[in-house]
Amino acid sequence: MNILNKKPIRSSDTASVSPGSMYEEVPLITGNQTFSSVTEKICSIVENDPPKMWYVLFGISLSLLLMLVGSVGYLIWEGTGIWGLNNPVGWGWAIVNFVFWVGIGHAGTLISAVLYLFRQKWRTSINRFAEAMTIFAVICALLFPTIHVGRIWVLYWFFPIPNQMEMWPNFRSPLLWDVFAVSIYFTVSLLFWYVGLVPDLATLRDRAKTKARRVLFGILSLGWRGGNRHWRHYELGYLILAGLSTPLVLSVHSVVSTDFATSIIPGWHTTIFPPYFVAGAIFSGFAMVMTLAIIARKAFGMEDFITIGHLEKMAKIIMVTGLMVGYAYSMEFFIAWYSGNEYEKFTFINRAFGNYAWGYWIMVSCNVLIPQFFWSRKMRTNVTVLFILSIFVNIGMWFERFVIIVSSLSRDYIPSSWDYYSPTIWDISVFLGSFGLFFTLFLLFIRFLPMISMTEVKGVLPQADPHHDMYHNSGDK
Amino acid sequence: MNSNENTNQLANENTGKISFAVGIAGILLCVVGYLKDPEQFIHSYLVAYMFWVTICLGALFFTLMHHLTGAVWSTVLRHILDAIMSTIPLMAILWIPIGFGIHDLYHWSHASAVAHDALLQAKAPYLNTTFFVVRTLIYFIIWSFLSIKLIKLSRSAVTHADLDRMRKVSAIGTVLFALTFSFAMFDWLMSLDPHWYSTIYGVYLFGGAYLNAFVIIVLIVFLLKKSNILDGIVTEEHYQDLGKFMFGFIVFWAYISASQYFLIWYGNIPEETIWYKHRWVGSWKTVSLTLVFVGFVLPFIILMFRSVKRNLTFLTAISLLIFAAHYLDMFWNVMPGVQHHGAHFSWMDISTFLAISGIVFGFIWRSLVNHPIYPSKDPFIQKSIAFKNF
Repeated sequence: MNILNKKPIRSSDTASVSPGSMYEEVPLITGNQTFSSVTEKICSIVENDPPKMWYVLFGISLSLLLMLVGSVGYLIWEGTGIWGLNNPVGWGWAIVNFVFWVGIGHAGTLISAVLYLFRQKWRTSINRFAEAMTIFAVICALLFPTIHVGRIWVLYWFFPIPNQMEMWPNFRSPLLWDVFAVSIYFTVSLLFWYVGLVPDLATLRDRAKTKARRVLFGILSLGWRGGNRHWRHYELGYLILAGLSTPLVLSVHSVVSTDFATSIIPGWHTTIFPPYFVAGAIFSGFAMVMTLAIIARKAFGMEDFITIGHLEKMAKIIMVTGLMVGYAYSMEFFIAWYSGNEYEKFTFINRAFGNYAWGYWIMVSCNVLIPQFFWSRKMRTNVTVLFILSIFVNIGMWFERFVIIVSSLSRDYIPSSWDYYSPTIWDISVFLGSFGLFFTLFLLFIRFLPMISMTEVKGVLPQADPHHDMYHNSGDK
Repeated sequence: MNSNENTNQLANENTGKISFAVGIAGILLCVVGYLKDPEQFIHSYLVAYMFWVTICLGALFFTLMHHLTGAVWSTVLRHILDAIMSTIPLMAILWIPIGFGIHDLYHWSHASAVAHDALLQAKAPYLNTTFFVVRTLIYFIIWSFLSIKLIKLSRSAVTHADLDRMRKVSAIGTVLFALTFSFAMFDWLMSLDPHWYSTIYGVYLFGGAYLNAFVIIVLIVFLLKKSNILDGIVTEEHYQDLGKFMFGFIVFWAYISASQYFLIWYGNIPEETIWYKHRWVGSWKTVSLTLVFVGFVLPFIILMFRSVKRNLTFLTAISLLIFAAHYLDMFWNVMPGVQHHGAHFSWMDISTFLAISGIVFGFIWRSLVNHPIYPSKDPFIQKSIAFKNF
C-alpha cells in the first residue's frame, strides 16, 4: 500500500527548456496522482449518482431521440417524399448526415490505433471516450442509409444472402461497398473498444458493492485476474487490433468517397477524393472529440486527466488536418481550371459564386480560415477558444458535405433540369434527432463505464516506470 | 565514440571518389547520347532527375516532420538527412538541361501546337515557357532556403531553444513544401501530357518521394556501418522504425496510386483514361504490372516480418528493391508519352542515371565526410541512441 500511495517526484532535468517549448516535459497527468487516486477518481463517476447536469442533458438528449423515433416512424409510413428531395437532387440531408457521422467516428480510431502505433502516450487520457464516440457516431451514420432506402422491410437485400429470387446486390456499386466497409468498421471498433475495457471492467467488478454489479461486471470482464499471462496476451491482442484498425482509418472514408467519386458528376468525380475525405473525417472527428472532452472534463472535474496539454495537441491535429482539407479544396479548384473542361470549371465557379455560395463560404471560413487561429499557442491553450473553434469546425465539416452533395446535383449537365433543394421540417427533425441518439448513448456510456482508461493512464504515471525512485528506497515515505 | 573520429575514418574511404568518378563517366556518356539522339537523352535524363529530386525532397520532408513532431528516435539520423538535403541547390543546377530540353519534353511549349489546340490555348496562362521557368525558380528558392536554414540550425543545435527554432521553420516549411512540391510535379511530370489532369497527382508523387527518403537512409547507414561507423549509435531499434515507416509508406503509395487508377477506370471518361491506356499498350502492360508487384506486393509481404526490419542486410536488400521500383515508377510516368507502342530501355537510361546518381551521391558523401555524422551535442541524443521499440 505504501508503494501505491507514494507521490511521484517531479523531475527537474527540464530546467533548460523555456516555458512554452514543445520540448518542455509536462507531465501527462497532473495533480500528483497515484495508482489508487486514479482508480478512485474514475470509478467514482460510475459508482456514484451523476451530477444534476447529467440528468438535464440526458433529458434533452432523450427528447431529441424520441423526436427521431417519431420522425423515422412517419418517414417509414409515408416515404422519403416527406424530405425536400427533388429531381435532380436525389441525395439531400440524409446522405450529408451519413457522411458527417461516419467522418466523426474516424478520430476515435485514429487516436486509439494510429497514435498507439506512433507511441503517442498522451492518447491514454482520451482514447476510451473517443472510441465510444466512434461507435455511437457509426450507429448514427448507419441510420441514414437504412431509412433512405424507402422500403425498409426489404433491407436485407443489402446483404448477399442466397435466395429463391436469385437476386443479388450489385457488387459494382459503391453503395454496397459502403455496407461492407462501415459494418466491418463498426465491428472492429467495437472489438477494439471492448478489449481495451476488459481490465477496467475487472476493476469495477472488484469494487462492486452489490451482487448485481459484481455478476454483471464479472461476466463482462471475462475472468480477468490481471495475471502476468493475461497482460501478455492482452498487450499482444491490443497491438494486433491496433494494426488491423489502422488501415480502416483510411479505407472506410475512402469507400464513402467512392459513392461520389466513381460517378461522372463534375465536383464529385475527382481523383483526390479518397485521401481528401479521410483528412476531412479526421479533422471533423477531432473537433468532436475536443467538444466532448471539454464538456466532460468540466462536468466531472477531470482537469488532471485531460489537461490543457492534451487539448493543445488535439488543436494541432485539427490545424494540420484542416490545412490538408484546404489543400484539397485548392487542388480541386486549380485542376478544375487547369483541366480546361467547361463542366468542371462551371461547377467550381458555381460553388463559390452560384446558388449555394453561402454554403461554400461557410465551409471555407470554418474549415480553412478559422483553424488558422491555432498557429498561436495562446489560442491553443485557451479552453474557451478551443471550445468555440471546435464547434465551428463541426459546422464547417457538415457544410462541406452539403456543398459537395447538393451543389453538384442541383446544377447537373442539363440546365432544364436544374432545381434548388431546401430541407423540410422532417429533414431537420431527423438530423437533430440523430444528435439525440448520439448524446443519449454517450451520456449512458459515461454514466455506466469508465470514460478514461484507468489501466492505460496508470501506465503513463511516473510511478509506472520500473526505475522510479519509490522502488529503490521504498523504506522512506 | 566521438563523432569527429568517425568522419576522419570516413575520409580514408573511397566511396566519395568512386561516386564522382562514376558520375563523370556518366556525364561523358550523356554527351555522346545527347549528340546521337537528343530526344531520347532528355527523356532518360528527366527520369533519372525525377528519381533523385523526389528523394532529396523526401529527405527535406522527413526533416520537417522530424522537427514538427518533436521526434526523438530519428535524432541520430538527422545529420544523414542534412547531407541528403544539402544537394537540393545542386538539383537546381541539374535542372538546367531540362530547361534547355523543354521543347523536346513538353508539347505545350510549341507555339504551333498551341495554335491548333483549344485546350492548350485555355491552359496557356499557366503552361507557357516563361512562367514554367519562373515557377521552377520559385520552387528551388523555397526548397534551398528551407534546407540551408535547417541544415545550418541542425549542425549547431545544442539547446532546446535551437530545436524550437527548427520547429518553427518546419511549421511554415511544411505548408510551403506541400504547395511547391505538388505544383512542381504538375509542371515537370503531369504536363508531359498537357491534356491530362488528376487532382491527386502531387500526393501520388509525394508518396514515392517520402518512402524513398527512408530507403536512402537505410542504404547510407549500411555503407557507414560497413566501415564500423555509427556502431552502437544507430541500432536495430532504429532499423525497425525505418522499416515500419517504409512499410507504412509503401501502403500509402499504393493506396494513392490505386485511388487515382481506380477512380479513373471506374469513371471511364476518355480524356482521363487515355493516360492509363498509354501505359497498357504492348510491353507497357508488363511494366505496369511489374511496378505493382515490385513496388507494392513484394515489399509489402517481406516487410511485414519483424526480423527483416531488424536486420540491416535484409533491410538493405529490400531498400534496393524499392529503389528499383521508384526508378521504374518515374520511368513509367515519363516514357509512355514518347514510346507509344511499348516500353524500350535505352543505354541512355543507364548513362543518365549513372551521371546524376554519381554526382548527387558524391556530394551527399562529401557532406557526410566533412561534418559530424550524428548530432552528438543535441539535448536528446542520448535518448535517441537508447531508444527502444515496445
